[in-house]
Amino acid sequence: MRQALARILTYLVIAALAILWLVPVLSTILVALKTPHDFVSQKFYELPPTFGLLGNLRNAMAQYGIQDHIVSSLIYSSVGAVVAILCASMAGYSIVRLKPRFNFALFLLIYSGTIFPFQMYLIPVYKLYNSVGLYDTRLGMILVYSAICIPFALFVYRGFYTTIPRETEEAAKLDGCGPLRMLFRIFIPNSKAPTAVVALFQATWIWNDLLFGMVLTRKESIRPVMVAVASMMGFGGSSVPMLMAVVLAISIPTIALFVFLRRYFISGMVMAKVDQ
Amino acid sequence: MRAGPRPRNQNLILSYLFILPALLLVAGLLLVPMAQNLWYSFFKWDGISKAIFVGLRNYVAFFSDSNFIRSFVNTLFWVVATLAFPVIGGLVVAIFLRGLRLADLFKSLFFIPLTISFVATGAIWANMFSRDLGVLNGILGLFIKGFKLSWLTSVPLNTIAMLFAWVWQQLGTSMVLFLAGLSTIPRDPVEASIIDGANRWQTFVHVTFPMLRPVTTVVITMAMVNSFKTFDIIYVMTRGGPYRSSETLAVTMFRETFTMFNMGYGAAISVLLSILVILVSVFYIKNMWKKDLLYY
Repeated sequence: MRQALARILTYLVIAALAILWLVPVLSTILVALKTPHDFVSQKFYELPPTFGLLGNLRNAMAQYGIQDHIVSSLIYSSVGAVVAILCASMAGYSIVRLKPRFNFALFLLIYSGTIFPFQMYLIPVYKLYNSVGLYDTRLGMILVYSAICIPFALFVYRGFYTTIPRETEEAAKLDGCGPLRMLFRIFIPNSKAPTAVVALFQATWIWNDLLFGMVLTRKESIRPVMVAVASMMGFGGSSVPMLMAVVLAISIPTIALFVFLRRYFISGMVMAKVDQ
Repeated sequence: MRAGPRPRNQNLILSYLFILPALLLVAGLLLVPMAQNLWYSFFKWDGISKAIFVGLRNYVAFFSDSNFIRSFVNTLFWVVATLAFPVIGGLVVAIFLRGLRLADLFKSLFFIPLTISFVATGAIWANMFSRDLGVLNGILGLFIKGFKLSWLTSVPLNTIAMLFAWVWQQLGTSMVLFLAGLSTIPRDPVEASIIDGANRWQTFVHVTFPMLRPVTTVVITMAMVNSFKTFDIIYVMTRGGPYRSSETLAVTMFRETFTMFNMGYGAAISVLLSILVILVSVFYIKNMWKKDLLYY
């Protein structure tokens, strides 16, 4: 009897929380579907008589050029993650297998980049970018995003490469395989799972970043999408449906990645948090 | 292709060359700037004219700057609230979800906010809390005629509203980590305790929770570190306002540096923020260090 009661209570609590979690999602979708006029004149729960989503997106494109920001952010996410993966897998391979002197110290040095909050290097990077002409450039954004992603990526690869069996390498070594080919023929192709984790995590992080985009860019064609969305905020009223339509558009890619690659996402989170 | 092992030095050079790109990027854009930032914090500097060395005066100024003090208090409030809600909430949800039918569906639901950006979260909740057309005032208005609270512009409601958004997004993190931790706990001790006549609460307090300790440490550390750094949600929902009343250290640092161009003062705030974050994670870094020594 008490058991059954506890069970019912559990269900009730979880169901209540689930509703609380779902309301903002449903509200966002509902508002994104309304035309500006319907949003202002209808009650918050009423379904829109006309389909306003496409019109809202068109407005965001015409007024804010949101499509350009999306393209920029896609470039930063993909190229930034790839550069970080290349740098980190090379470094990880060298640290684990070639073991030059000071390999552990070098690892710690690179890894220490992840311990401090971003604010700790924001001002000098801003200053540096202004003096070398990287301010407000795509290259500058890619470099800073890659640099931030490298420590975690290195941590993952260094851990994973120690688990690759030596026998595979010995055979390749006998065939005269040098370090470069060893890395690209054996290590990188055999590390699909950690690469998926790193790529997913870092691409999502870059896509979602606001701070660096705000500080290091100015031109509309360079600014990442989150900065554009943040600058759309605060006008209220009839601009809200447009904002919500954009929120949907920029959130669906990362939600979709999560749905398709859920396994990697969760293992990555556990890795990132437990071992960071 | 060449047969036989290559000369030893060629590999030696190569071994450093492999590390070089990663090292250059991290050192050039993160590590060296950190040292510079510490240096800047000893100067009075508007970013354009010549910087004036002021020693520790930026740090001393914290004590008499009411904006800073409010921001510091707000930050501590965020940290405490984060420990109270997303962390404990995540643990409760993780435990409740174990063995529940439809657990996977609920898990996904609580997890999805985590995959979207803070900016999107802020936008979604700014709409929920908006005064005239917001959902919350709408729902409350169904029960109380003419109910209209200005959530985001009155103190301290605005911070509470933003914490709501934060909890909505962060609960999934601790839930996933606690679920991962729970799944590694062996069944035997739990069953033994139940056979010994302990009830579910006693079993949890004396058996399950102690075994969750490693995960709990991680979750608490990460939650504190993340809440100390809170920036995006506040920037998006209130810009730290009205009248800088809802700023946290990260927002104050940004405003002092990039809107008011007190670069030296901003640098000092970021140094303080770093010290707080490092202090919170010391225990944790030490743990990792031990693990690494075992690793080699």
